[in-house]
Amino acid sequence: MFKNYIKIAFRNLLKNKVFTLLNIFGLTIAFCVAILLAIGAYDTLGKDQFHKQKENLYQVYTTVQSLKGPQVGQSMPAPFAPTLKKEVQSVSKITRHYEDNLLATYNEKTLQMDVSYVDAPFLEMFTFPVFKGEKNPLHKIKTVAITKKAAKLLLDTEDVIGKTIVLDIAGTAKPFVIASVLEDSVSANSLNFQLLVNFENSPNYKRNIDRWNASYHSVFLQLVNNTSLSQFEESTRAFTKKNYSGDDERLERDGVAKDANGQYRQLRLTPFVDRTFTTYKNGIIEADRTMPYLVLAIALLILFIASVNFINMTVAKSAKRLQEIGMRKTLGASRKQIFIQLWLESVFIFSISILLGTLLGNALLNDFQTLFRTAGTFATLVKPNIILGVLLVLVSITLIAGGYPSYLLSKLGTLTALKGKMDVSSGTRLRNSLIVIQFGIAILLISGTIVLNNQIDFLRQKDLGFNKDNVVSIPFNGKLDSKTVLRRLRSQLQNQPEIISITAADNNLGRGKDGSGYTSVSGFDYEGRSISTHSLTVGYDYVETLGMEMVAGRNFSRDRASDSLSMVINETLAKEYGKENPLEISISFDNGVRYNVIGVVKDYNFRNLKENVEPLTMYLNNNSDYLYAFVKVDAKNAIAAFDKIEAAWKSINPDATFLGTFLDENIDRTLRREKIMTTIITSGSIVAIILSCIGLFAISLLMVNQRTKEIGVRKIVGASVFGLASLLVKDFLKLVALAFLIATPIAWYMSFQWLQDYPYRISLNLGLFFLAGCIAVCIAMVTISFKTLQAALQNPVDSLRSE
Amino acid sequence: MIQIKELEKYYKTEEVQTIALNKLSFEVKEGEFVAIMGPSGCGKSTLLNILGLLDDPDGGSFKFNGEEVAGYNERKRAQLRKHNVGFVFQSFNLIDELTVFENVELPLIYTGVKPAERKKRVEEVLEKMQIMHRRNHFPQQLSGGQQQRVAVARAVVNNPKLILADEPTGNLDSVNGNEVMDLLIDLNEAGTTIIMVTHSEHDAKYSHRIIRMLDGQKVTENILV
Repeated sequence: MFKNYIKIAFRNLLKNKVFTLLNIFGLTIAFCVAILLAIGAYDTLGKDQFHKQKENLYQVYTTVQSLKGPQVGQSMPAPFAPTLKKEVQSVSKITRHYEDNLLATYNEKTLQMDVSYVDAPFLEMFTFPVFKGEKNPLHKIKTVAITKKAAKLLLDTEDVIGKTIVLDIAGTAKPFVIASVLEDSVSANSLNFQLLVNFENSPNYKRNIDRWNASYHSVFLQLVNNTSLSQFEESTRAFTKKNYSGDDERLERDGVAKDANGQYRQLRLTPFVDRTFTTYKNGIIEADRTMPYLVLAIALLILFIASVNFINMTVAKSAKRLQEIGMRKTLGASRKQIFIQLWLESVFIFSISILLGTLLGNALLNDFQTLFRTAGTFATLVKPNIILGVLLVLVSITLIAGGYPSYLLSKLGTLTALKGKMDVSSGTRLRNSLIVIQFGIAILLISGTIVLNNQIDFLRQKDLGFNKDNVVSIPFNGKLDSKTVLRRLRSQLQNQPEIISITAADNNLGRGKDGSGYTSVSGFDYEGRSISTHSLTVGYDYVETLGMEMVAGRNFSRDRASDSLSMVINETLAKEYGKENPLEISISFDNGVRYNVIGVVKDYNFRNLKENVEPLTMYLNNNSDYLYAFVKVDAKNAIAAFDKIEAAWKSINPDATFLGTFLDENIDRTLRREKIMTTIITSGSIVAIILSCIGLFAISLLMVNQRTKEIGVRKIVGASVFGLASLLVKDFLKLVALAFLIATPIAWYMSFQWLQDYPYRISLNLGLFFLAGCIAVCIAMVTISFKTLQAALQNPVDSLRSE
Repeated sequence: MIQIKELEKYYKTEEVQTIALNKLSFEVKEGEFVAIMGPSGCGKSTLLNILGLLDDPDGGSFKFNGEEVAGYNERKRAQLRKHNVGFVFQSFNLIDELTVFENVELPLIYTGVKPAERKKRVEEVLEKMQIMHRRNHFPQQLSGGQQQRVAVARAVVNNPKLILADEPTGNLDSVNGNEVMDLLIDLNEAGTTIIMVTHSEHDAKYSHRIIRMLDGQKVTENILV
């Protein structure tokens, strides 16, 4: 019996080659895309899930009350973690964590390496298995752990225990003995390091060891089993009161309101596994997994569209199979047998498509990984619950996609089926509803694509307040100190016609190839009020090189020695000071040194475009190191200038990699999340449209076949080609128009919500959505016209004969 | 074997009710060969569908082997049908995707006959119908006469007590038509009851009895043997 089912299924598929191919093609694409998207989504969702203690691991943050409302702080001062462990019983283990990128040297070989400074419990809390050597080398100050891959890179072997490497920490070369080699971590690891070094080696550790007002690293802790978050929060109140009393007094003086528990500062925990999904809301960190779930939703929508095609094509061509079904029933087939036979045909098509989709997905995996910046592989999906889920989904899809037409056919009376007559109205209604949903989804995705692209273009083209087009930023990453490099760079390049000016600062603009970006915020009192400002150390010509505009006063000048005790502030900070003439502002800091404001620079986006401009102070600090050089080049010779900068850099800094980038690339890099989202939604909408069109094409093919006689008769009585074509097209266009009406408000609402996250955003107008609708209508028109025009142009006698 | 009494069947549309069978009564005994004749629309095919348990009457009584079957649901009718009735249609109604062998095998599959037994029985009947050499061909590769022989083979493979033939020679030329009629005679002589609907006086003469119908009623009945 089963063999018979399979045999007839196979022959039926061969007989209807066009439909079989369209179905398999559509489903293969859908499965391929769905598998790839699922890999991406599950890779993201699986971040950090491999730690055995994950249920008890947390990152510490503070909610601090301020005049602007509760603020989140994730950076902690050096004494915080040891004191918390001592004073709060519920903390089982705790580690500080500070990431850096250092030059590591072994013999003659020097490489840039990702280093994490951590405390000894780190390897007991997190699951990074030791491949060779000591279980925990972090108990000693001068021993380090290295990953297998990094060992091979730097020492050309995994056999490295006991060998000494030299790390360049804040300009000082320090030797370390490798005591452990760690297994390479899995892709789902958010703590990316090549070397683990004891925290006490971190730069400026000795200076910061007792300072509670210099926060610069994160803290992870493991709670004692069965401690609730609220118990932890409550148990830390005495700790914060004791250690932050000075801060609290200042907040009280400024008139800041306390929180519901009468606190200015509350320590809180966010689960470690949430750390890559965090968003801030009212001083609380929340996990936001919208993005991976959105990707999964798109994968499911695409599968849905392909399944709809399958249902529609099967129902539409089922009329042709009525006699066969009728004959089978006459010969004694039961409803169940008919159902199983037709269902197996769909299982057959789905199985082939899954197989082909998987093969295609495998072929495209590398490109997908690059495009979507995921490290996920097929192994990401090989988990019992995912496999079970996929099987359930598949059975459901085949039962619905194959089962529904089977149900329609199998419930027909024997005689009705045998006569080949079927009331198609219920099938048509279903088909139409499904086409509306299909095109609704497509219009939703097209609208999303348009809105996302417009917003990204808007952000890219937005006037950021500085010249991002012709400025190259280069991180100082060599052994030489930054001041020397800057001086040599100036002397080598200043006479080149392509180079306009050169400067430096201790922070980048946008995100460079080194990927780092931080902010340093300081707070002080000014005329009885607390002022909080970002600080930036700059070199001469910073304002000029970056094409910024001074709105008052002047920029730092080489001709005035006193400028080393001067500040240039931005407009926002000038407003905070509240002085009519900001150039009268003079601040005396803790060390008694007085600084004067000499200029106000027009606000520019020094952080990222998702945040409003915050207060900023620029200093010309001769004692502090620069981290980035900025070179303004001639727009007409930008490429040649870039090559010259690279050559000069390499001659000055032969051991350091040149990581120079144009600032507009850096700005683009800050929009990475949006770009990935746009790529996903754009690809999703393209696939959705292709699949919907395959479905529509197949349906138009069948509809034209069914109406061949009508077309012939109409032509004989005088219908024009245009009249006939519009007769056939109009029914479908009505459906697409309905889909537009349903999808547009949803698309508008979703876009509106998404845009709320951006202080700088496009305004939504109906035109955007109308464009999406027009695209859908045009594509639908082209798809249907193909077959309808052919039918309308056919010789009427042929139409009648074929009937 | 078949007793129908005052059998009625109506077809209703929203506005019109058409009477297809109007209080029709007759009997068919086991082993008989009965031909039913009449002009188009007289109710012949409707009658055949009811006798073949493909359709249910709207009134009257229908006894099959002494069992009252009027009012049976589709499931019960299907059970009775697959063990007792074989069908031969004017348009053959072979399944295009199945070979000759598989088409003939199909009723045996649905009655749950084991594969080895199926093979034996299908080969026997194909031999008998002289179509064995075409066993692996598909219907569209056969002539009309050959297709009808396959259809007859399929109708008899389950050894039904009753064969219903609806215009079995309607789509065939005279030579092929006569061959099919000879097959039916052979089956009848072997004990199978046959009821045949036909327009052809020539074919009707092969039967034992001709029932003529008009407007859903029996007009005359001629006994030929």
